Order: sequence, then structure tokens, then C-alpha cells
Amino acid sequence: MSADWLDLARLHAPLIAILAPLLGAAASLCIPSPRWSWAIGVLSAAAGALIAAELAVRVLWLNETPPNVVEGVMLSPDGVGVFAAALISVCTAIALIAGVTSSEAQSSHFAPLAIALALFAGGGWIAATLASDLILVLLAAETAWLASVGLLVLSGERHAALNGALRMLIAGAVGSALSVTGLALIWRSSGDLSVAALALAEATSPWGEAVGVGLVLSGWIVKAGVAPLGFWIGSAFSRASVLAALCIGVVGIVSALMLIARIAAHAFAMPEVGGGLSLALAAIGGLAIAAGSVQAIGARNLRRLAAYAGAAQAGGVLLCVALGSPAGFAAALVQTTALAAAMLALYAAAGAGGVDSLDTLDGLARRAPLAGVAVMFGAVSLIGAPLTIGFLGRWRLVEAAVGVGWWWAVGAMTFASLAAVFYAGRLIERAYFRHLRVAPAAQGDGWRVMLAPALLASIVLVAVGLAPGALLQAADAAASAFGVAP
Amino acid sequence: MTPELALIGVLAAPLTQAVLVLMLARPPGLRDVMHVSLSLFTAVCAARLVEAAADGEIVRVVLARPLPNVDLALSVEPLGALIAAVAGGLGVLHAVHTVGLVRASHEPAPARMMAFLALASAAAMAVAFSANLFTMFVANQALTLAVFPLVAHRGDEESRKAARVFLGVLLAASVGLFLPAMVWTYALVGALDFQAGGMLAGRVDTLTANILLTLFVLGLAMAAVPPLQRWLPASSVAPHPALVTIQGVAVLPAGGVGVIKVAAFVFGPALHDAAFAARGLIVLAGLGMCAAAVIALSRQNLRERLGYSCIAQSLAVVMGALLALPAGLFAAALQIVAVACAATTLTMALGTVSVLTARENAADFAGLGRAMPWTFAAFALASASMIGMPPFSGAWAKLWLITASAGAGLLWAAALAGLAAVLTFAHLGPLAANALAGEAPQNPFVRADGASIALVAPVVLSGAATLWLLLVADPLASFLSPVWTPP
Repeated sequence: MSADWLDLARLHAPLIAILAPLLGAAASLCIPSPRWSWAIGVLSAAAGALIAAELAVRVLWLNETPPNVVEGVMLSPDGVGVFAAALISVCTAIALIAGVTSSEAQSSHFAPLAIALALFAGGGWIAATLASDLILVLLAAETAWLASVGLLVLSGERHAALNGALRMLIAGAVGSALSVTGLALIWRSSGDLSVAALALAEATSPWGEAVGVGLVLSGWIVKAGVAPLGFWIGSAFSRASVLAALCIGVVGIVSALMLIARIAAHAFAMPEVGGGLSLALAAIGGLAIAAGSVQAIGARNLRRLAAYAGAAQAGGVLLCVALGSPAGFAAALVQTTALAAAMLALYAAAGAGGVDSLDTLDGLARRAPLAGVAVMFGAVSLIGAPLTIGFLGRWRLVEAAVGVGWWWAVGAMTFASLAAVFYAGRLIERAYFRHLRVAPAAQGDGWRVMLAPALLASIVLVAVGLAPGALLQAADAAASAFGVAP
Repeated sequence: MTPELALIGVLAAPLTQAVLVLMLARPPGLRDVMHVSLSLFTAVCAARLVEAAADGEIVRVVLARPLPNVDLALSVEPLGALIAAVAGGLGVLHAVHTVGLVRASHEPAPARMMAFLALASAAAMAVAFSANLFTMFVANQALTLAVFPLVAHRGDEESRKAARVFLGVLLAASVGLFLPAMVWTYALVGALDFQAGGMLAGRVDTLTANILLTLFVLGLAMAAVPPLQRWLPASSVAPHPALVTIQGVAVLPAGGVGVIKVAAFVFGPALHDAAFAARGLIVLAGLGMCAAAVIALSRQNLRERLGYSCIAQSLAVVMGALLALPAGLFAAALQIVAVACAATTLTMALGTVSVLTARENAADFAGLGRAMPWTFAAFALASASMIGMPPFSGAWAKLWLITASAGAGLLWAAALAGLAAVLTFAHLGPLAANALAGEAPQNPFVRADGASIALVAPVVLSGAATLWLLLVADPLASFLSPVWTPP
């Protein structure tokens, strides 16, 4: 009997991975106690993560065919989608665990709402990565985006949070407008809006199809906070709570990057689209690396610095995608995983250590040694130090880029690493070689719980760097069906 | 002990040492015993590996496979074994001296310092035994990160600034120059493993060879090639045990070994294809040697003077390695050994003098040799070796370097090496002579109980070691010959 239920759950794993956080959100809203609400939220997110991870193991390691069941709304999990769903659901669960102090810090009235919004955001992003139709992708992503905006509104300092939320809302509107216009152009050119049809469509107007795909991707690029289109990230992150920072800075940005990779993976199969798309993504990626790195060097707030560093790393992901080859898509997946792990370590450690401005980072290793370790590993991975997952991601990009003669991409990644030596090296120097001068933010008991995700992310950063076989196999399997040599 | 076990031992022993000195920080006696005994064990392992290399045994240990087709691996070859054995032997003396120094100076955080000294030693061993470019890159980064806290050890603004320069220059060079060169090599060859005879031989055009050589040599900023030498003078604010690690037993030798491995195992005969870059770098090294020696002459503070002097010596290694001749590679290897012995002696002697007399300026050294005869006798021997006076280690290295330069038709390089030796004499010779022959100062000691044996014996033994190349130069040539002779 239980085996039958298990088989049924496996058959509908994509749907359950989406529904688990959404149902958890509904349950969290019904419970007034912040602690119980948080516990239910964590459990539902963990259940979703477990199901998505099991699906990824079956599809990417055991080479099973992804389930393709009509679920009322059509889901069509491909390799990149399955990889993305697993990563996003795990990040959502970890963000919920690390967000424990946020829910405590906020008034008890709003804490269940914040947890529900975080779960809505996670569920929405997962749905977007598994959806078979571009309209559904857009709707699911918009749900997630608006939930993230709501989460930011509930963050600690009302005025600053509202300012950040307003900018996010504007960015979301711009992104949506671009995406909707793009969808209209694709529909007009090919008459089909399914994701898989991007690779097959016999467009009546290839030019319109190419522009349409470009506009759709531009919408996601705005939402991924990729410089110079990420005008919203500075104000959004500077006063965000830990939960909001994790949901936007890790779950949101990783999801947007995964969507870009997924849509581009299908679109590159069209010869009319591939060349221009590659050029545009490469240009934006290179620009993002430069702008994000410079902004990170100048940042004086740890969350801002991490956000700008993330934007620079996201530029690297776009470079990978721009290659348009299976190796490039696999590199993009590895890079995005590296970005997620580093950001989780940094944001969660900042929360656990009560770090806000860089001045409050001084002496962190003495007063909170484990948080200091997490900051250090997050920083060295951003630098791309060997034996971390950050190095692995860059190596895969460089390997793929050199394979097609994109030597300038090697230069761009070298610049990114050099800039990271300055901004991430500063984090290590402040945490380990300075004495505390400014009192950190007051904390409750939640920092102990918050340390767990920070340390888990640190362990992942190093363990995968040392033994990357499983991740590389999954990324290669996810990307193997996509792309053509540019 | 099997060679494989010894190879793991040279890495594991210092790592264990770092953990144990932190865990057993009190009582200090136990901490010190751990520090010295595990240094001794590292030296024994390194000596075992010299034996394995002499017997031509193939020893390779894979630690991890972090990239497809690229291992994090250690292997034994004569050059690495020699440098590891020298660093290991000097490391024992350094460990004893550190124990004496932290006790005499009432060092506030001795366990932390000893732990990072041990980590630096492990990283230096990893550089010496690196089996491929990737392992060397990782080990270089690890060495930089291990020494960074030593430079910043005092914790004041000056030392933090120096540490930032140290970290910034070495990491930036490693990431910005060495890493692209490594990637390029991987793209050309499809592997990164070192090969006697050169992995690039026959696989690279002239332009690429020239660019790659420049990237590799400048990327190995630990060799202190201008303009990436700033980290060395900056790090002179570090505590004395850290200075010994930087200039004597870990950082500078690691830079030298890196350059020789690149010249012999990455380029080999392909170094002739990179003749333009090699000549340019030799000019840079030759002029840098002379400039560093002149600057050293202008410095009254002996930490700074020794820092610049070590730059001049390290550049001789680069010059020898790039001559594209077996004699040049041999000269470079001898120079690493000679500089390691001499710099270790000089920096340890400086530490002893500083902690006992609180003197660190050249003018204050006059006559101190009469009060501290053993320490200054060793100081004089080491100075003579740095200068290149026969029969000390440095003389043989310089002789081979000048011979190799002349053999390569680069008489101007030989002249620059000779001029640098004269300038080294100018900044070290009178100092040693004045310390031994000057009038003894009244009440030179700030400590009533004088020097402990832990502060003097290592200096004397290390100074005596500068004589050993006199006895083993010929056997060393045959021991090292596999480095430049493809199998």
C-alpha cells in the first residue's frame, strides 16, 4: 500500500514539489504563533526539497525519464528544470531555517505572513522552472516576485524597507513588461508559447522570434539583479531582514538565473536566435562582472556587498549561458550552485553574527567563531579559491570558453576573481584581524539555529570543491540535451 | 617507512602540529615539545623522500580529484625532495628558535603563531612535492593564506596594512597571471602534470611560449620578480619567527622551486621558444638584483635590509632557471639551498639580538659580536654565504650561475650577478665585521639572564649549514640530474 503511495508521489513529484511549500504557506498563515508557523513552514519546505531532490537523483543520476503527467496545468520538467527545482527548493528550506530570527524580530502579528510569503516565493519559482508553457512561467515567476516584494515590506526598518520594496516593484514591472512584450512577439512569430516549442518552432518571422526571446530573457535579467539592470538590489538588501535577504538574494536570484538558463537552453536550438542571443548575453555578462565587482568593492554594508558580489557572479552565469553549448549550460548550473552556496553562507552568517555594516564584522571570528568560519568560506568561494565550489564553477566556464576560443571570457573571470580578492579578502581581514569597534545588532536565541544553514553551506562549498563528481555529473546530465556549438 | 607514507607524513605532520599546538597551548612545555618533535618528524619524512628520489623510486599520492583529469597530487622528484629536506632540517632549528623566542619575548599569542608557522611549513612542502601545476597553484594559495596571519600577527594598523599588501600582491599575481597561464597550458596540453623534458615541448608556438613564460614567472610572485616584489619588504614588520618562514624556510624557497619547476617541467626545451621573454625576465632579474642590493644598503633597519637582500638572492634563482641550460637549473637549485640556509641564519640571529638587546638598526650592532660571539659568528658565516664568498654555499651557487650565464652567451647577465654580489658585500660585509670587531657596548642586554640555548644553538647550527654545499656539490649535481634529463 505504502509502495503504491510512494510510486504515486514519485509520478507526481514535480507537482508535489510545487504544492508542498504552497500548502505550507497556507498552513503557516492559519497559525498565529510565530514559532509554530515557522516550524510548519520549515517542514513543508523540507518536504518539498526532499521530493525535488529525489526527482533530481532519479532524472540526473539514474537517467530516468522525467515524469510528464498532465497536472491540470501542464508541467514539463526537463533536465535544467529538474536541477533548478531541486536547487531552489533546497535553498528555500535553508532560507526558512536561517530566517528564524527574522520571524522573531518582526512583530508576532506579521511573522506567519512573512513565512507564508517566503514559501509562496519558493513555490512560485519552482513552478516557473518546471512549467511547460511560457505564460505559466511568467505567471509563476510574477507570483514569486510579488511575494518577495511583500516579504521585503515586512522587513525590520519600515521606511528603508518600503523604499527597497518600491524599487523591487518597479524593477518587477519593467521586467514583466519586457517579458510580456517578448511573449507577444513569440506568439505572433510562431503561434506557440510552450517552452519546448522554442527549439522546434518554425517561425514565420525569425526576427520577431529572436527579439521576443531576447525581451523575455531581459525581463529575467532585470529580476536576477544583474548589473547594470539590477538598480534595485542596493536599496533592497541594505535593510532587508535575514529571511528577506535569503529569499530574494539566494532563492530569487538563483531562480531567475535558472530560468534564463532554461529558456536560453531551448532557444539556442533555433539558428535565427542563437547568434544574437549569444552576443547579447555575453555582453551583458561581461558588463555585469565589471559593474558588480566595482560596486562590491565600494560597498560598506555586508548584505549590499554580498548582493553586488552575487550580481558579478551572475554575470559569470550569463557568460556560461552565452556559450550556448552543453558544456556552457553545465557550467552555468555549477556556477549558480556555487553562487547559492556562497550567498547562503554569507547571509546566514551575517544574521547569526548580528552583522550589518562592515564595521560590525570586525572581530566576528572572536565573538562568533563559527559564523566567522562561514563568512570565510563564503568569501573564499567568491574569490574562486581552489578546492571550493566557486573555483569549480569558474574552471568549468573557462574550460567551456577556451574550447570555443572565447579567451576574453577567461580575462573576464580573471578580473572577477581579482576584484573578489579585494572585496572578499576584506571580509576575511575584518572578521579575523580586527577588534570589534561597533556593537553588533542585538540578537535573540535564534542565532544558534541560524548557524546551522551557514555551516551547512560552508561544508557544501568545500566538500563539493574537493569531490565534485556528483555535481558535475548532475550538471552534465541536465545540460546534455541542450545547446549547439556557437 | 614507505615513501608513500613519508610523502603523506611531510604534509600531515605539520598539519597535526598546527592542531596540537592550538589544542595543547597550555602548559607551554607540552606545546613546545609538540612543536619541535613534529617538526623533527617532518624533517625525517623529507629525508626519507630524498633517499627515495636518489633510488629513482616513483612515488605519487593523489589527495583528491577536484577537477576532471586534474588531480590534487604530490609526487617525489629530486628537486622537490632536496628543497623539502633542506626546509625540513632548517625547520627543526627554526622550531627550537621559535620556542626560545616566544618565551624570551613573552609573546602574547604563541600557540597561534606556532600553528600558522606549521601550516606554512605544510604548504611549502606541498609546493615542493606538487605533482602538477594545479597542486602548485593550490599550495601557493595555501601558503599565502597561512603566512598572511603571521604578517598581521601584531594586530596593529601597520601590520594589517603590511598583511594586506602581502595578501593582495601574492593572491592577485596568482589569480591574475598564474591561473590564466595554467588554464592556457591545460587548453594546449589537456593535462597539467609535470614532466621531465617539459610538458609544452613541441606543443607550443613561439608567441604563446613567450606569453606563457611571462605569465608563469610573474604569477609566481613568491619569487619576488619586479614589479611584484613589494610583498617582501612590506612583510618585514612581521614577528621574527614569521620572517624566518618568509625569507628562509617557506615562502621564498617556494617561489624559487615554482620557477624551477615551471622552467624544467613545464617548458623544458620549449624554453628556447620563449627566448625573448626569458631574456627580458633575466634582464629584469639582473637589474632587480642590483637595485634591491642598493636599496638594502640604504636601509638602517635590519629587517628591511634583510628583506631587500633576500630579494636580490631570490632573483638569482630566477636568472639561473631561465638560462635554459642544465647548469643554470643546477645553479638555481643550489641558490635556493644556499639562500635558505643563510637567510634562516640571519633572520634567526636578528631575532635573538632583537629580543636580547632590543636593537634592530645597523648602527646599533657595532661591537655586539663581542657580547654575543656565537650568534655573530653564525651571522658572519651566513653573510659570507649571501655575498658568495668561498667556501660557503652561496659561492658555489654564484659560481655556477656565472658559469651558466657565460655558457648561454649572456656575459652581461654574469656581470650583473657579479655586481649584485659586490653590492651584497657592501650591505652585509661591513655590518658583520663591525659587529665582531667594534668596541663592545656597555650593558647591551635588556634581559638579565642572557640568551637561552634555544636562542643561540639553532643560529649556530644553521650558520654551520652554510658550509655543507662545499662537501656535497658534486653528488648533488648527479642527484638533481633527472630534473633536466628526460627519462
